[in-house]
Amino acid sequence: MKLLSKYNRVNIIATIIVLFVSAICYYFLIQSVLITQLDKDLKVEELEIKDFIKENNRLPDPTNYKDEQEEFIPSGNQKADRRYTSVDIFNKEHHEDVSYRQLQFPVLIAANQYKILIRKSQEETDDLIQLIVIITLGILVILLVTLFLINRFLLNKLWKPFNSTLQQIKQFNLSGKEKVQLEQSDINEFTELNDAVRIMTGRVSRDYDEIKSFTENASHEIQTPLAIIKSKLELLSQSENLKEEQMNSIQSVYEATNRLSKLNQSLILLTKIDNQQFRESEEVNISSLINKHLTNYEELITAKFITIKKNIEDNVKMNMNEVLAEILISNLITNAIKHNIDKGIIEITLSNNHLLISNTGLPLKIDPSELFERFKKDKVSSESLGLGLSIVKKICERYSYGIKYNYSDTLHTITINF
Amino acid sequence: MKILIIEDEKELSESIVTYLKSEDYVCEVAATFNKAMEKTELYDYDCILLDITLPGGSGLEILRELKANKKMDGVLIISARNSLDDKVKGLILGADDYLPKPFHLSELSARIGAIIRRKNFDGNNILKFNSISIDTSAKSVLVNNKPLELTRKEYELLLYFVSNKQKVISKNAIAEHLWGDGMEGNNDFIYTHIKNLRKKIIDAGNVDYIKSVYGMGYKFTD
Repeated sequence: MKLLSKYNRVNIIATIIVLFVSAICYYFLIQSVLITQLDKDLKVEELEIKDFIKENNRLPDPTNYKDEQEEFIPSGNQKADRRYTSVDIFNKEHHEDVSYRQLQFPVLIAANQYKILIRKSQEETDDLIQLIVIITLGILVILLVTLFLINRFLLNKLWKPFNSTLQQIKQFNLSGKEKVQLEQSDINEFTELNDAVRIMTGRVSRDYDEIKSFTENASHEIQTPLAIIKSKLELLSQSENLKEEQMNSIQSVYEATNRLSKLNQSLILLTKIDNQQFRESEEVNISSLINKHLTNYEELITAKFITIKKNIEDNVKMNMNEVLAEILISNLITNAIKHNIDKGIIEITLSNNHLLISNTGLPLKIDPSELFERFKKDKVSSESLGLGLSIVKKICERYSYGIKYNYSDTLHTITINF
Repeated sequence: MKILIIEDEKELSESIVTYLKSEDYVCEVAATFNKAMEKTELYDYDCILLDITLPGGSGLEILRELKANKKMDGVLIISARNSLDDKVKGLILGADDYLPKPFHLSELSARIGAIIRRKNFDGNNILKFNSISIDTSAKSVLVNNKPLELTRKEYELLLYFVSNKQKVISKNAIAEHLWGDGMEGNNDFIYTHIKNLRKKIIDAGNVDYIKSVYGMGYKFTD
């Protein structure tokens, strides 16, 4: 639920309740005020009647109008109470009940008790109350309409800077160079929010750059000593009169150094993909990329007497980073060659939706689900690093491609769904 | 052939100098940004090996300066940063090649040779070794003035050997040169190639130049 509609709902419900309750209170208040007023009028009438009786020692002629009636009832010896009441009396002319305020009081004329009733119509009072209710309802309607309009237009306008900031945050791209452009607002909360967003994105960008440069520095720091070791070994191997034993040692160290350096490079590559550092992307022709690599490894393929079965659609293009595409295809193909058997088969199928590379080979000794994990390799002692397929998987994740491994009928198959 | 090695790691530049000197290159070393700027301004080199991270400044700045002064020196960037940005920037700025550290010295030597041949304006693209003559522009090989038919990889292999003559070259370096990064640890592959190349050269009426050095690799020597 949007903040605005939630706020509106609460607001409108509260408004209705408050207005309703206040209308009820209002009603009773006005009524009691008006009745007090009527009671005062009745008291004046009472005084007038009592004065008349004192002067003339008889009852006056009772008035009998619609809005004011007097009634004198002899009550024998009994003295009537003095009290105010509200009564409804049926009006024969108008065929309706009319409510009256009535004062009843006793008088004594020539030793005869009389009960005197004076009534004043409450009709005007009722009209007034009705009017008040109508006005209240009118105010309620006007208020609701106003609130609705305010919410609809003013609040939308007020929230605009917030929405624009939100949009900017959504579009914020870490690897992008441009900073967030936040709309100026004269509302404190939004200015504060914008400041916070600005500080946060700035810090995130800085951290990102730091990690990036750390990765590169780490690579530099490790590769440089490796480069020195490698070059010294190469020079050493040029020396004349080396004993066989020494040559073997040099070769072992040399190979280990090579592996170490490849390992370092692969780990840095994984980190860089994780950090989304390969952001440039372009249309890469996967079909020609596969053919290019197959040609490159042609001799290796022939040397193992491997048969290639190709079913490659022409001009399959993917929007991805060229370097990553190159690594993806190269890793998959070298993998299929390296882990193949002599006189084996490599099957490559490429369409716009998927890439399928199968190769013959010995069954896996590890759990297939672990195949894409780092440092998982079939043979512990093998020369390969066990990172090739994790890199493949990482690249697939980067572009949200699905990747699956399947082994059946001596064929290892890796399927990538674009 | 004069080579300037701009590299702050003393041990590495020493190795490079030792290796290249035996290939009849004249080598000079600049270990800092300022030293490098000074040398590139004063002298011309056939090829400059350029490290990107230097004390005092960036190697890319030196490259920019070289190109601004219309210097024709060949430039080979040797960077440990292995960063795509540097590679792209360097090549856009006009570097001739990019070789990430750590590299095989034999690979370095082959790359320098290729740059110098490309930069060579005399049009002399013939590389000679005894009776073998390689025309690098036509990618053809003559042995005793008779054409030698080679596959693409065999040609690359021969060129690599001749660029590193009299040197022990490791199988790893050869595999990497021919197939790139992916095939490390599969050195058996190159055996077939060496065998074929060796046979073709012997068949063309020559002695066997390719000596295998036990446990290490191969050496092209007379």
